[in-house]
Amino acid sequence: MTSRRGSHSPAGFGKSLPERGLLLLVLLVLLEGSVLPLGAAGSPDTSHHTKAGNSAGNGTGNVTHKKAFPVLSLDYHHIQTPFEISLWVLLASLMKLGFHLIPRLSGIVPESCLLIVVGLMVGGLIKLAGEEVPPVLDSQFFFLCLLPPIILDAGYFLPIRPFMENLGTILIFAVIGTLWNAFFIGGLLYAVCQIQPANPSNLHQLELLPCLLFGSIVSAVDPVAVLAVFEEIHINELLHILVFGESLLNDAVTVVLYHLFEEFSEVGTVTVLDCVLGIISFLVVACGGVLVGAIYGILAAFTSRFTSHTRVIEPLFVFVYSYMAYLSAEMFHLSGIMALIACGAVMRPYVEANISHKSHTTIKYFLKMWSSVSETLIFIFLGVATVDGKHDWNWTFVTVTVILCLVARVIGVVGLTYMINKFRIVKLTTKDQFIIAYGGLRGAIAFSLGFLLKKELFPLREMFLTAIITVIFFTVFVQGMTIKPLVELLAVKKKQEAKRSINEEIHTQFLDHLLTGIEDICGHYGHHHWKDKLNRFNKKYVKKCLIAGERSKEPQLIAFYHKLEMKQAIELVESGGGVKMPSAMPSTVSMQNIQPKKPPLAKPVERALPQLPKGREEEIRKILRSNLQRTRQRLRSYNRHTLVADPYEDGLGDLLIKKQKMIELEKKIKDMNNYLTVPAAPPDSPTMCRARLASDPQAYHTKSVSDSVPAIQVDLASPQSPDSVNMMDEFRRAGQQQQQQEDQGLTMRPPSRPGEAGGARDPQKLTRCLSDPGPSADEEEDEPFLEEAKGD
Amino acid sequence: MGSNSSNMNHIPDGQQLLQDTGFSAAQIIRLYERFEFLDKDNTGHLRPEDLETVPDLDMNPIGARIIGAFFPPGKETLDFGSFVRILAHFLPADSNRTRAGAQQEPANSTTGKLRFAFQLYDQDRDGKISRDELLQVLRSMLGLQVTEEQLQCIAERAIQEADADKDDAISFDEFRKSLEKVDIDHKMSIRFLR
Repeated sequence: MTSRRGSHSPAGFGKSLPERGLLLLVLLVLLEGSVLPLGAAGSPDTSHHTKAGNSAGNGTGNVTHKKAFPVLSLDYHHIQTPFEISLWVLLASLMKLGFHLIPRLSGIVPESCLLIVVGLMVGGLIKLAGEEVPPVLDSQFFFLCLLPPIILDAGYFLPIRPFMENLGTILIFAVIGTLWNAFFIGGLLYAVCQIQPANPSNLHQLELLPCLLFGSIVSAVDPVAVLAVFEEIHINELLHILVFGESLLNDAVTVVLYHLFEEFSEVGTVTVLDCVLGIISFLVVACGGVLVGAIYGILAAFTSRFTSHTRVIEPLFVFVYSYMAYLSAEMFHLSGIMALIACGAVMRPYVEANISHKSHTTIKYFLKMWSSVSETLIFIFLGVATVDGKHDWNWTFVTVTVILCLVARVIGVVGLTYMINKFRIVKLTTKDQFIIAYGGLRGAIAFSLGFLLKKELFPLREMFLTAIITVIFFTVFVQGMTIKPLVELLAVKKKQEAKRSINEEIHTQFLDHLLTGIEDICGHYGHHHWKDKLNRFNKKYVKKCLIAGERSKEPQLIAFYHKLEMKQAIELVESGGGVKMPSAMPSTVSMQNIQPKKPPLAKPVERALPQLPKGREEEIRKILRSNLQRTRQRLRSYNRHTLVADPYEDGLGDLLIKKQKMIELEKKIKDMNNYLTVPAAPPDSPTMCRARLASDPQAYHTKSVSDSVPAIQVDLASPQSPDSVNMMDEFRRAGQQQQQQEDQGLTMRPPSRPGEAGGARDPQKLTRCLSDPGPSADEEEDEPFLEEAKGD
Repeated sequence: MGSNSSNMNHIPDGQQLLQDTGFSAAQIIRLYERFEFLDKDNTGHLRPEDLETVPDLDMNPIGARIIGAFFPPGKETLDFGSFVRILAHFLPADSNRTRAGAQQEPANSTTGKLRFAFQLYDQDRDGKISRDELLQVLRSMLGLQVTEEQLQCIAERAIQEADADKDDAISFDEFRKSLEKVDIDHKMSIRFLR
């Protein structure tokens, strides 16, 4: 699952001391969690007394005789609610830790299953302790607190391009597929319930409308479950976006159907007018949700334009605006999920152009963190609620439900694909269809919706809940566990993990223009035509409003190129320390050109660039070009569990050794340069030593690339990938800071002898904008450089 | 069927085109209508000026190149057959019907599509995209928004990345390789209305 885990976890499992300690800690937390409600129940019901220092036995009337001043007392009620919430969150996080320490288990069983099992255990523990299980999966809590982070995370990082390209397919699956599922399941269930004339059970009192309502609840594919399972199997982008997009967009359908049937269950009959109103309602819910989200997204983008002086609260705007979009949509009973997705997707390109890269990192990490915790909590609570709920197990109902769900899904997918394939350029194969059908997992949303049903209107509520839980368990456990081996077995195309190269970017844009032109010649207003129009509109009007400063005019290709160059530059400087790249000269020239408005004094990064004659320059470029030839593209999968697959952590040792060789090469170059009278320091400069010591000694093997040519690993970021780094502002900031304060930040001196002409090279200055590579890399790599600076 | 074939009769080379390209009869008829619409002076041939009247094409950064692709050097006019054959590059690849006597490489296969795109870069037809040609393309796409040095950097970097045989130019194979992750069939296909 996570490649990084492999290098960190010890060979055996669970038996080493720290792991035993961890397991012990987990057990303690569990016990504490179950014992405390006991303790709380023991004390009398004086939850709102805030007299400090009072002992538990309070409430002895108004006679106050003087007691000894209590030095230490226990007042659990004071902090009960936040304490329990924190306890749950802590439990969830520890569980997550635990799973990743057990190597084989997480490869076989998806995390969601394990979490549900944990929830079951915790629920069992609490019940054993005789306590009442807290109603954790309270619908209010679920829909307002647990669900939004996951959806926002999904929406903010939604790959827009494949989503838009497949929008038609996704909509058809979401809308028509869900409708089909709901009516098929509901209708057939009703029929089945009626067919037992011999022994009339309480099934007979089940009306058609409640059945349809049940069908609509249980038919919706759940985004949380889909995300949890699909993230681990790494299938290709098309299938991922199809199933995931469907799970997001069917929220509108579910909302409408749910409210529709709920309303009419009270009345008991449905007329044609109601159906028409239902359809209109669907359009309102869907489009309204998207509109609300888009409005908030634009507001957020506009706000971010002005945050250049208060960088610290930038992430806050993103989160608050998105959450408000969700709440506003829910206020009108519009589709909150669609609002959230629209908000995230709309604001992202503009916000990312405006905010600092630290804020970008913050947003990314916070979203991942919240959504991760939320997801964990949801699954645990699902387990707890299962143990807790009053269940009404009815064999017929439950088994028929499960079977119908499967059958309906398969028929729906096959039928719809047949229709869709007539309009698609790239057809969906049988394998694709199988994965789409198999990936239709149900999850906690279905449960919460069922939970919301009122007992008075739906006397068979418990039966419904039992059936829903069974379906959820079935899909998550059976389908979730087997989908990975099936994907392997069927040899479904996996996700292509390499990042985009600049060639790809150039050619893709070129092809876009080409196709637009051909479409114009044919007079065919297709896909490309509208996309081109939208792009032009975006560039002309929208970007000017929403993006601050001169970034608004920057074409996408340039932004992409700069990201690549920045990443490369940082990487080189970070690892090599003082190695200057003459072939980077053009890029520094270009970087200076980016800021036409800045005063001529500012240089974003002061590189020590000796003035070389033209011929030498060419020679150097040739030599270094042959080194830069090997731009090895890293394979990184974007996965919530690994978060930012840190390009700098692994293989840094390789880089260092290769940098060493580069420095030797530099020596030769310097010999050609008649500025310097003294040759450069030997490769094992203090910088290198310290850097090497600090980095992970394990990752210290060098791949045998050709021995004479040191290869440089360059990680190429794509603008769409979540790893893309927004370096622009930091460097500009660096430039500004350079002006203001001379001695700020790191100073890296290239290895120099005292006798060397000091004027030939100014010390390179780098501000601490190197904080983006993951947290651990931060501590490791920045330390030696800091020491270096202090040592000077 | 009957009406189609009778309509096809007044299309020059209609049957031949049906066989050579992957278009259906309905598509060819529709393309012929478009051809006649573009051919303002009804000569049965298109000239570059006719194509330039297409709206939005002048806003396209590589519009001139695309028009140039229809008119290979030396030819000033474009007849319907050539028009259709060029557009055949943009058919989705799976609409290939097995035809007797098909050429070895149908125009709308991935290779065919890529070759068409390659020729748009490679104006001097020497089989390679030189740095200058790449620079020209970049200049036209990025326009006046960037400086010359930036363009140089990008071109430099692009060639470094793609150039495997180090001849300072991008050959067709290198071009194809750099696009191997892109779904060309999807990206370079137009859904011609039936």
